[in-house]
Amino acid sequence: MVISPLRLKVLRDLRRLWAQVLAIALVLAAGVATLILGNGAYSSLYETRARYYDDYRFADVFADVTRAPRALLGDIREIDNVLAAEARIVKLALLDMPAMAEPGTMFLVSLPEEGDRGLNLLHLRQGRLPDQQSTREVVVSEGFAAAHRLRPGAPLTVLMNGQRHNLLVTGIALSPEFIYALGPGEMMPDPRRFGIAWLPRPALEAAFDLDGAFSNVVLKLAPGASVDRTIEALDRLTAPYGGAGAVARKDQISHAFLDAELKQLSAMVKVLPPIFLLVAAMLVNITLSRLITLEREQIGLLKAIGYSSRAIAQHYVEFVLAIAALGIVIGISAGVWLGVGLAQLYARFFSFPFLIFTRDPQIYGLAAAVTVAAAVAGALLAVRVAVALPPAVAMSPPAPADYRARMGAFRRLFALRQTRVMVTRHLFRWPLRTASGTFGVAMAVAILVASLWSFGSINHMIDVTFTRAERHDALVAFGAPEPARALFAARQMPGVLAAEPFRAVAVRISHRALSRKLSIMGKPETPILSRVLAPDLRPMAMPEEGLILSEALADALDARPGDLVTVEFLEGTRRTVTLPVSGLSLGYVGLGAAMEITALNRAMGEGALISGVALQIDKTGQEAFYAAAKTTPKTGFVAVTALTVARFKETLAENITVMITVYVGLAAIIAVGVVYNFSRIALSEQGRELASLRVLGFTRGEVSGILFGELATVVLLAQPFGWLVGYVIAFGMVEAFSSDLYRVPFVIGPEVYVTASLVVCAAALASAWAIRGRINRLDMVEVLKTRE
Amino acid sequence: MTAMSETIFHTKDLTKVYRSGAQEVHALRGVDFQAVRGEFIVILGPSGSGKSTFLNIVGGLDTATAGEAWFEDHQLTALDERGLTQYRRDHVGFVFQFYNLVPSLTARENVALVTEIARRPMSPEDALALVSLTERRDHFPAQLSGGEQQRVAIARAIAKNPEVLLCDEPTGALDSATGIKVLEALTQVNRTIGATTLVITHNAAIREIADRVLRFADGRIVEETVNATKKSPAEVSW
Ligand SMILES: Nc1ncnc2c1ncn2[C@@H]1O[C@H](COP(=O)(O)OP(=O)(O)O)[C@@H](O)[C@H]1O
Ligand SMILES: [Mg+2]
Repeated sequence: MVISPLRLKVLRDLRRLWAQVLAIALVLAAGVATLILGNGAYSSLYETRARYYDDYRFADVFADVTRAPRALLGDIREIDNVLAAEARIVKLALLDMPAMAEPGTMFLVSLPEEGDRGLNLLHLRQGRLPDQQSTREVVVSEGFAAAHRLRPGAPLTVLMNGQRHNLLVTGIALSPEFIYALGPGEMMPDPRRFGIAWLPRPALEAAFDLDGAFSNVVLKLAPGASVDRTIEALDRLTAPYGGAGAVARKDQISHAFLDAELKQLSAMVKVLPPIFLLVAAMLVNITLSRLITLEREQIGLLKAIGYSSRAIAQHYVEFVLAIAALGIVIGISAGVWLGVGLAQLYARFFSFPFLIFTRDPQIYGLAAAVTVAAAVAGALLAVRVAVALPPAVAMSPPAPADYRARMGAFRRLFALRQTRVMVTRHLFRWPLRTASGTFGVAMAVAILVASLWSFGSINHMIDVTFTRAERHDALVAFGAPEPARALFAARQMPGVLAAEPFRAVAVRISHRALSRKLSIMGKPETPILSRVLAPDLRPMAMPEEGLILSEALADALDARPGDLVTVEFLEGTRRTVTLPVSGLSLGYVGLGAAMEITALNRAMGEGALISGVALQIDKTGQEAFYAAAKTTPKTGFVAVTALTVARFKETLAENITVMITVYVGLAAIIAVGVVYNFSRIALSEQGRELASLRVLGFTRGEVSGILFGELATVVLLAQPFGWLVGYVIAFGMVEAFSSDLYRVPFVIGPEVYVTASLVVCAAALASAWAIRGRINRLDMVEVLKTRE
Repeated sequence: MTAMSETIFHTKDLTKVYRSGAQEVHALRGVDFQAVRGEFIVILGPSGSGKSTFLNIVGGLDTATAGEAWFEDHQLTALDERGLTQYRRDHVGFVFQFYNLVPSLTARENVALVTEIARRPMSPEDALALVSLTERRDHFPAQLSGGEQQRVAIARAIAKNPEVLLCDEPTGALDSATGIKVLEALTQVNRTIGATTLVITHNAAIREIADRVLRFADGRIVEETVNATKKSPAEVSW
């Protein structure tokens, strides 16, 4: 096979310029990798979840009731579009593990009874399902089993309704209902302190006194059915039995958290890959432009001997395509490698029976196509110049760079040294390239600002929540509302220093046509342990009558202080009342509404009831408190603040290193790619001048200083621009991510900007260092012999 | 330092061999040379005879393979890279065939480039005045003719008040009328600041303005002529 001379030149150019080629290819590769990672993870999660839901008959509608007769199920099945309905018993129990002093919660669910025709079917990982008649046998969730090293045959003790039950684990399973298993009062899944247990219905009926009754119903709807209308019909049927209002799948906790993750991934795909591809296109452009300038004479010669413009354009495009190909190969490998890593990370948070990183060829094909397009787009502008060169012009050397005095005032102002003047004039001489370089470096800074801010915000959120608002050490929620005297009983518990009551009532709040379902929290007039904060972080006193809405809820309802809202109580008397909005509060997680506890009880038309207590605990009495809280029959669950916060921070710390490594790596790739190419081009243009300066007696350091001064100017100019772009991206992310589930505070401390800049400057320094050798080797004698 | 005949340069058996692969090129084959302070020396010789190599070594741009080169009491052949840089910076002015001006700096700024780092410089304005370029001082190289650019290069070379001025074919890229102006500038400078001046040229007529003429051939000095009476450039017929 004979390789044509032009193709041979492509290969030689690639080898000669390997470092620049590699730097550009890496930026392209980062684009490919983030595209594959984002799209791949999205489709993996999305497809896996869809298939899991399908195969295991995940329900579309979920409703809790206090106690409804099983006969009601027949009516529910009659509702239009209901394909299947299953009545269940769903309750909380307390864990009693010998090896675990701190409180833990078990979520009890009755087993699907109709075999494969039931809903929310289990995926059995080990052992077998319990015998339907057994009152002891239980299947537990896989995460919980792993955290406690339980295997089929292991004993398990739980407290149901205050009574100790010794159970036997027969199997370990997963369920589409608990892909993301978040315990009550928790902020992060903790499989040690929260597990799911599936028991035969009779066992639960007996334990919770629910013979012939159910406490939860799930529905599967016909495809395309109106969920809202079904929920309305279902709520009408369950209302007499304490129905607290059904929720659609989109509001089901596990599902909603997965949705949030999917939303983040799709946001990442919209932000990161375009940045990389844009920067890469720009690098291709400036590098190729310089190459073409250097090769003007060769191009002229080729044209003179009869090569067509097309052939010459093709030659340079081939050079760029080779770079793109390299970028695609590296990017795909990195993307798949990171994808597998991400899938493993997901496996820690999300319990799927299977999670395979996508092999969808479309995703890889798209990444490759977009990358080639970016590289070629960058090349076209540069190649156009080569194509336009008439052969005669091409063969005479370019006119000397024409500088004009354009900065007289600027210079006088700063009394610049001549070497600085050189730097400044050179930067001004090629404004587009200077702008490109600045833009590229700014993008590296922006990527870091846009990713690093979230850690500070999360810390701020934790800090505000747990040192200013929720200042209790523990929270005990009762299984059912208790008379006010339960507060005094709580104060008597060992280790308790102070107790503050709260009342939580499920409601639907409506304003105009908007409505939301949530719990109103009743609190003392001046809460101390569990406070509500105003947006300026000051604690708020509970108003005598009105409601305080969290900002997120106020937005969702389009309600402002002074407006009247309709409150429909979904428990107890089930009254509907109209209440004024008295103020707005800060709230990061979920939707919130608060009012004074006696006003709440009055509005409900009930006596002085409380749903639980917030407690201050003496550190030394902690163990005794744990033991007592477990055995009190009233206890529904216990949340311990220190454990919640510790788990949250632990989870964050596990991810933070990975995340920071990835983002710092990505930013460094951009910074190195831009700075290295920029300096190589600057050196190629000014090598002659710099060698002349060496002749005049300038030291290596002084000469490097000129080139580095140019780089430093670009890098420094880029910083504020990068901060700004990063800020805008971060702000966009906050807006995109805030939902009823979360409202992330937008806090960017100076340390975020400082860290971003330091990382980028370090990367820039490293790449500047890489060309130092070239500056030192500048050949003084050679430059004297030749004319440029 | 006052004696008129004080030796400023001398070399002993200066040898330079370029090796590229298996090939060896003997650029200098043992050059013995002396120059006294203030002398104006013209170097002639065919292309490839080693003139530039010689000038580059005594100018501290290149290193010798063997032999010694001395500037005053500094042994140049024993200096490292840093020492050579310092030597060029403090003592040597260069003028080259292709001017080697910095295109992004004006005439005045190109001169200031050197005066900023020199120990006892003259002002850039004075240096430009010596080569009669005061009026063009704010022009960029691209706005100057070849001869003007070369005079800027000379102003740049002399602005530091160098002890030696080394010129490698300074008129090589110029037409003869312009060349005269450049040579006039060189002799003028040689007289004014007393810098020992070595000029490589192909123009044999120039010998009449020199104190001494050396002829190189095949890496050696093959002929040396001392001019008893040197002429001014205007008197020379080119
Ligand atoms: N860098 C180099 N590598 C190899 N040979 C060189 C190099 N520089 C000069 N030469 C050779 O050394 C000899 C002397 O060159 P030079 O001093 O430039 O001659 P002149 O200036 O008299 O024309 C020539 O044969 C030239 O080819
Ligand atoms: Mg020569």
